[in-house]
Amino acid sequence: MDNTPTRRAQRTIAYGFLFFILISMATPFFWMISNTFKEQYEIFQLQPTLIPEEPHLRNYIRLFAEFDFAHHFLNSAFIAVVHTVSHLFLASLAGFAFAKYTFPLKNFLFLVLLGSMMVPLYTIFIPLFVLVIRLGLVNSYAGVIIPGVAAAFGIFFMKQSMEAVPDELLDSARIDGASEFRIYWQIALPLVRPALAVLAVLAFMNSWNDFVWPLVVLRSRELQTLPVVMAGMVGMYRMEHGVIMAASLLSTVPILLLFFALQKQFVRGLTVGAIKS
Amino acid sequence: MGVQVVSSASIVEDRGLRAWWSRAERKVVPYVFISPFYILFIVFSVGPLIYALYLSLHRWPGSGPMRHVGLGNYTYLAGDPVFLKSLWNTVYYAIGAFIFILPLALLLALLINSTLIRLKSLFRIGYFLPILTSTVAATLIFLMIFNNQFGLINQGLALLGIPALKWLDEELVKISVLAVAAWRYTGINVLYFLTGLQSIPPDLYEAAQVDGAGTWAQFRYITIPQLRPIALFVGVVTMIGSFQLFAEPLLLADGGPNDASLTLANYLYRMGFTNAKLGYGSAIGWVLALIIFGLSFIQLYLFGAFRKDD
Repeated sequence: MDNTPTRRAQRTIAYGFLFFILISMATPFFWMISNTFKEQYEIFQLQPTLIPEEPHLRNYIRLFAEFDFAHHFLNSAFIAVVHTVSHLFLASLAGFAFAKYTFPLKNFLFLVLLGSMMVPLYTIFIPLFVLVIRLGLVNSYAGVIIPGVAAAFGIFFMKQSMEAVPDELLDSARIDGASEFRIYWQIALPLVRPALAVLAVLAFMNSWNDFVWPLVVLRSRELQTLPVVMAGMVGMYRMEHGVIMAASLLSTVPILLLFFALQKQFVRGLTVGAIKS
Repeated sequence: MGVQVVSSASIVEDRGLRAWWSRAERKVVPYVFISPFYILFIVFSVGPLIYALYLSLHRWPGSGPMRHVGLGNYTYLAGDPVFLKSLWNTVYYAIGAFIFILPLALLLALLINSTLIRLKSLFRIGYFLPILTSTVAATLIFLMIFNNQFGLINQGLALLGIPALKWLDEELVKISVLAVAAWRYTGINVLYFLTGLQSIPPDLYEAAQVDGAGTWAQFRYITIPQLRPIALFVGVVTMIGSFQLFAEPLLLADGGPNDASLTLANYLYRMGFTNAKLGYGSAIGWVLALIIFGLSFIQLYLFGAFRKDD
């Protein structure tokens, strides 16, 4: 095709650019990790050091001792797990109904479902908060979890995979006298396990990283999640940069582990909207 | 005797009920299965959406009586310099995302997809990793990187003999917010574009090569038109996302200095939660919704999503 020198030059430029961006993107990660082992003065000295001069774990110890990190970590984990499990159940159940039944108003109802994704969070933010107070859900995990637990995207996503479940399987179970719920639970659900895994990582990550809604709902400190507590560290009189970086790193670790364990599911989960469009 | 009659009648009735249910179950059950979504949607979205409109026509500090002010909140918005500033800032972020983040993501995707490059998954995964951090963690890292005196960027500039820049001051803070957004969101958009590029049928390119089309012609007449659906998706998602930017300016500079980084979402939060002006905050929310709906519609229209022949 092309003559070799041109192609070689093109390749060099392309690699150079790709690596430049890659290094730019990786630097904040390494900077964060390195700073967790440094004293404040070393973070802010004129010659930045990637390898700490006197590495120590004091930032981590203070994070657990003074900021009760383990407690807030468990709060985040509890909310994320409850949200994920309930969301998977409700989304797969509704997705099953949309994929496997014909019923009056089905198309209209599905259109409403798609339209619900267009409602901007901040438009309903203030009245939603008023409502959560009136329902007595403020300062409770229920108040954090319930409003978003049946989000339309999950239903839309589960509908696509439920459509692949063969009708013959469902019908033969009906002849054996199984109830519709049992058909969903024992036949359809096991068949869409891969899709459930994709939705699970997505739901878990969204809940784990969520900031603004838990920020307003969870008033008392002992209930607060990691992002809320970490944001609170910024406004403090003396900002503890090493401790904040340790918190940022440890709060990211569960998602990173999940990502490297379930890479394919992650990438599919995050791009599925684009594919379906 | 009488007891027997009653019980046999109830057996008949029970049988009737069961027969009725076995006929009705498949008609009723789908509504039951989808009902949790609609109940929650009506209670936690539709209700608040209407209530927000109602609140926006009132003055209300969150307790006590509401005072009806008609469109007063909206006319006040039109002359509120802080609101106009936050609107401009938000538009600035959206434009920045469209002229900086998206072209960069497209370029990276094209390079990764080209035959020149190996190590494709290294780049794909590497660019993607930042989105796994929470906005809070990401912004906290950049808070230190952009520190006006001792941040990593200024340390780097000092090594090159360039005096420190005040990244979090009025002049540069919006650029810094965009940089945090670019760090988190470039990779996911690379993935979106790659999905689009990989779904282009290869025989289109083969046919074009047979016809003698060069690299540029192939890009112009095959890649760009074929990417249209994905570009529409990316465009709408980016627009909706940048109009709801919240945590980055809040944590990087508390919306400041002098409201220079404040977004509509930040201002709404400040009015609704800090200043207890729930009516005014709700009016900001509705303006935000109208902007988002309007721009989504325009994008769909420009990309021909309403044209029948596509």
